[in-house]
Amino acid sequence: MNQQPSLRSEALVGAAVALTGLGLGFGAISIPGDAGYGGAGPNFLPWVVAAVLTGCGILIVREALSGGFRDMEPPSGAEGGWWPGLLWISAGLLLNAALITKIGFILGCGLCYLLAVQGLRRAQGQRASAPRVLATDLFSGLAISAPVYWTFTKFLAINLPGLTGSGWI
Amino acid sequence: MDIFASLLQGFATAISPVNLLWAFVGCVLGTAVGVLPGIGPAVAVAMLLPITAKVDITASMIFFAGIYYGAMYGGSTTSILLNTPGETASMVTAMEGNKMAKSGRAGQALATAAIGSFVAGTIATVFVTLFAPTVAEFAVKLGPPEYFLLMALAFTTVSAVLGQSTLRGMTSLFLGLALGLVGMDQISGQARYTGGVPELLDGVEIVLVAVGLFAVAEVLYFALYEGKTVETQNTMSRVYMSKRDWARSVPAWFRATFIGAPFGCIPAGGTEIPTFLSYAVEKKLAKGKDKEEFGTSGAIEGVAGPEAANNATVTTALIPLLTLGIPTSNTTAILLGAFQNYGIQPGPQLFTTSASLVWALIASLYIGNVMLLILNLPLVKVWVQLLKIPKPQLYAGILIFATVGAYGMRQSAFDLVLLWAIGLVGVVMRRFDFPTAPVVVGMILGPLAEAQLRNAVSIGEGSARVFFERPMSLALIAVIVAVLALPRLYRFVQARRQGGTMLPHGGVEP
Repeated sequence: MNQQPSLRSEALVGAAVALTGLGLGFGAISIPGDAGYGGAGPNFLPWVVAAVLTGCGILIVREALSGGFRDMEPPSGAEGGWWPGLLWISAGLLLNAALITKIGFILGCGLCYLLAVQGLRRAQGQRASAPRVLATDLFSGLAISAPVYWTFTKFLAINLPGLTGSGWI
Repeated sequence: MDIFASLLQGFATAISPVNLLWAFVGCVLGTAVGVLPGIGPAVAVAMLLPITAKVDITASMIFFAGIYYGAMYGGSTTSILLNTPGETASMVTAMEGNKMAKSGRAGQALATAAIGSFVAGTIATVFVTLFAPTVAEFAVKLGPPEYFLLMALAFTTVSAVLGQSTLRGMTSLFLGLALGLVGMDQISGQARYTGGVPELLDGVEIVLVAVGLFAVAEVLYFALYEGKTVETQNTMSRVYMSKRDWARSVPAWFRATFIGAPFGCIPAGGTEIPTFLSYAVEKKLAKGKDKEEFGTSGAIEGVAGPEAANNATVTTALIPLLTLGIPTSNTTAILLGAFQNYGIQPGPQLFTTSASLVWALIASLYIGNVMLLILNLPLVKVWVQLLKIPKPQLYAGILIFATVGAYGMRQSAFDLVLLWAIGLVGVVMRRFDFPTAPVVVGMILGPLAEAQLRNAVSIGEGSARVFFERPMSLALIAVIVAVLALPRLYRFVQARRQGGTMLPHGGVEP
């Protein structure tokens, strides 16, 4: 099902763009404008970007309020979003961010994988909470994370956090 | 040193066992990335950027180049066998390739795509070999005003011409420029938009933006909107081409190479125009029964042409990257980021200061093309197995690699939060049809363009007249104006001819 998003949500996107532009303008006030020998200082581009983004935001809102976005490809997928899916994956990513330095890369990413795959399975309408599925997902998450960790830390000498100082866990 | 001698020296470096291994791993990974849905060459290169901290520059650039053009080979497999083409470059291939596969000729479509990619890739590499040094010699004469305008041309084409809507393209570009502003100003050392967060003093990492916008956004979007989308896969058949298939494919490969190669050379980027142009040419030139196959049972020229054009364009896109330091696509923008990680700024001096690197990279393109032909023709059935990986496991696995890319660059857990936030922005952009390429190009080129602009204005003693007093910069201004005005003028004339009124957004009201 491919349907154009609602005009209200389009207007909200435009408003967000305009607010971003205004925010950048607000930030540009505190950037000194000393241009030295040239005519453009460090605050020149920030002002240009702020002005153009604010202008674009206003024009997007205008488009939204006057019949919707022009020349728009209909978005792929369902008309409405399945928000629990977003929550599962967000939880995985944010928990990984919060815990990666404490429990290490393998366990952090294993947890992120487990939560993300739960969300994605549920998005597809699969049964995801059965103990066997949970165990399989946990095992496959760790089975992917561990070799990735070893490859990057042992062979490529990339610094990734471990649970112990051995570089293996 | 002449070109041939330099190239031979490049081959001597590229065929060292270590570099050959990196090229092979890059080609394998690139093909896998091309075949797998939800992950493209830009994301793959971005996720692996942390290796630039440890791996030698020649080896890593050969590796990244392998991923870059390997993905183009692999992309055709997905677009022919799946009913959902992965990326814009494969869209045209999918149109006819899919129809061929549905009528039991998937093998022929895959064969013409792989051999066409090899032919076009090799000829385009010859172009890179012959013309890149000449462009570099010419580019030495360019000053900051010309460089700034070349970058402005790249901004204009990537945002205003290639997307559906100029307004949304401009918005994406300026979002990218805004991201590029975060951190320390290159000229004055002034901190901008850091909000007191020390991690932001070094700016926002390109890995975060690319991986967040493409990979994380794809995973989030799938869970939100595409979980219930049913995909069907076409049946595979024996990979071979009959005499008649060869007779129809060979001219299409050559025509498409000469259509695609010039598009890569100009800072106007994108594979959409050359692939569509090649498709239109093949359709126009086809006669009788062959023409009837277009859009019905699938015409082999409709796969051979666009696939060759696509590969020719992506290969010659290395010319503006290496000689001018101007990326014209997502992936070349991230390749530029890889060079910058080594403290090297691609540009005309690269051919003198890092000659061995450049020629080894060019030599590796020849070697990589041969590797990819072998990987993609006899082993195509192995790659097709990748399409059987269930999406939940595949997409969750992508998040693990996204973590490596995002965390590995700066060892900052804060970057993982940024990654998630950028992923959310990517979902909104995709849902509302905002193009993402201008964000990446704007972010990478923005700081460079700003430095060139300020240097140019300094040369002009504070006056913008410097842009109009030099013939080359004046010519570039004319090109930018033409790029912006001509499509609108064309639409206006068409509207007048049809007796309609032109709407402000470019549409026509009868």
